[in-house]
Amino acid sequence: MVSEEYRGARKWSRNKQAVATVIWISFLTAAVATMLFFAFIDPVELLATYDPGLEIGRQAGYAVGFFFFWFIAAGCSAVTAWLVRTAPKRDARR
Amino acid sequence: MSKETDTGGPRAAALYESAKKIYPREIKGRFASLSKLATNVLLGLFYVVPWLMWDDRQAFLFDLPARKFYLLGLTLWPQDFIYLALLLMIAALSLFFFTALAGRLWCGFACPQTVWTEAFIWMEQITEGTRSQRMKLDKAPWSWNKLRRKGAKQFLWITFSLWTGFTFVGYFMPIRQLGLDIVALNVGGWTLFWGMFYGFATYGNAGYMREQVCKYMCPYARFQSAMFDKDTLIISYDEERGEPRGGRKRSVNRKKEGLGDCIDCQLCVQVCPTGIDIREGLQYECIACAACIDACDSIMDKMEYPRGLVRYTTEHALKGKTAHVLRPRMFVYGTAILLLAGALVASMVTRTPVILDVIRDRNTLYRELPGDIIENSYTIKVINQRNEARDFRLSVDGVAGLSLDGVDDVITVVGGDVLSLPVRARTQRDNAYGIMNITFAVTAVDDESVVMIEDSRFLGPTP
Repeated sequence: MVSEEYRGARKWSRNKQAVATVIWISFLTAAVATMLFFAFIDPVELLATYDPGLEIGRQAGYAVGFFFFWFIAAGCSAVTAWLVRTAPKRDARR
Repeated sequence: MSKETDTGGPRAAALYESAKKIYPREIKGRFASLSKLATNVLLGLFYVVPWLMWDDRQAFLFDLPARKFYLLGLTLWPQDFIYLALLLMIAALSLFFFTALAGRLWCGFACPQTVWTEAFIWMEQITEGTRSQRMKLDKAPWSWNKLRRKGAKQFLWITFSLWTGFTFVGYFMPIRQLGLDIVALNVGGWTLFWGMFYGFATYGNAGYMREQVCKYMCPYARFQSAMFDKDTLIISYDEERGEPRGGRKRSVNRKKEGLGDCIDCQLCVQVCPTGIDIREGLQYECIACAACIDACDSIMDKMEYPRGLVRYTTEHALKGKTAHVLRPRMFVYGTAILLLAGALVASMVTRTPVILDVIRDRNTLYRELPGDIIENSYTIKVINQRNEARDFRLSVDGVAGLSLDGVDDVITVVGGDVLSLPVRARTQRDNAYGIMNITFAVTAVDDESVVMIEDSRFLGPTP
């Protein structure tokens, strides 16, 4: 039967699903956070008040901010996913 | 979680055994044409829009390095963030509205994931051929022909991805200049990075991940069913009419044989980009691309059966009840969209084309000057949102005898620019004690109604 070759086509393993979801959702979160944060705060001014000696361009500031948010969100997501997946099961089916 | 359930177990093994790459079969029909149209229009817009000009600058430019957004004749500043917020809310509500009305229209026709995947599949088809040719090619051992076809596909994919990355960056910095910089091999590190980043994401998502993104990574795919009700248009198989399914010759009288209209040709399964069987009912993997409708209609035509065994319909209609388009849910979403759109238009129309920022000098509380005068220092920022230069008057109020020093009577701000001024406010000692609220005002010289007021503090000695 033709449809057999499709049934459940290309299933990802649970680990792959978890990794992809964590990376992707934290990416989206970081994009929103970066937009919100830098709409109100200019990275150049932020750095100037913090350490006038240090000078980086706006582009670098945005990038650092974005990766910072991505890292934080991914860490949070990963730990959450891990805790949920490794939690003791309520009904011991296995 | 035991290791066994992760990778093994008889059921899982059976699943993985059949874990195959999906080769969506090409199909012609009403919805395929619609989807092709949507793909061409949306991708066309994406690749063309950054090249449009408005006067002597890019018509749509989100100039992040300069912290200014240009939209046609409009220049938006970070202070105009409210517009973006309103726009995003309208977009989200519109998504809800259309989902409630006709299911996953977004997924099937407008989502970048779908649109770029369509483009990548098209490139796959012109280099590797039809579905069966592609399956055969993948199974065949490496040969000159295979290398040539795969190489051509990769060449098209990679070129297209790089161009996509370049276009993406072109929304954030002037694309013409960027093009010249690339030709001259003089691109900044971050620019190059973001271009490659977006290009690579396109390549991976549209070339390889495809329907997996919708199945495993998309939050909308999981919660869209919350917007569904029994009157939502969905793609369904008419079980009553189709069953019992079975193969037969065209000449066979199906009524006599006790057969339904479904000839079990599997075409609806073969065309499905997510690899599901629509005849098993509505599934969350279904992205509503309607390829199965086209496939089934083509077979129904051949069999000379009426079309629409698989069709856009509602749960109510399938059960023979009346379908309602105008439902409370639609009115709620519709009203919210209209209110937000109204707020957006109103706030844009009444927008004051000048912004005033006042920052009190934090280093000193106040200064005592000879002649019993108390002085406070401020940094004033005047942002002229118009594109032409404009004259303004700056004034201060709130404390008796308060006047400004260090600022001209009329200040000129270049169009679309920020003027930063150190300013001192002074008054007699008798008038100043403790913390007092004051207001700065900036007024356009040519139009008294253009005025922006900003609150600040004036500090004096405490008796």
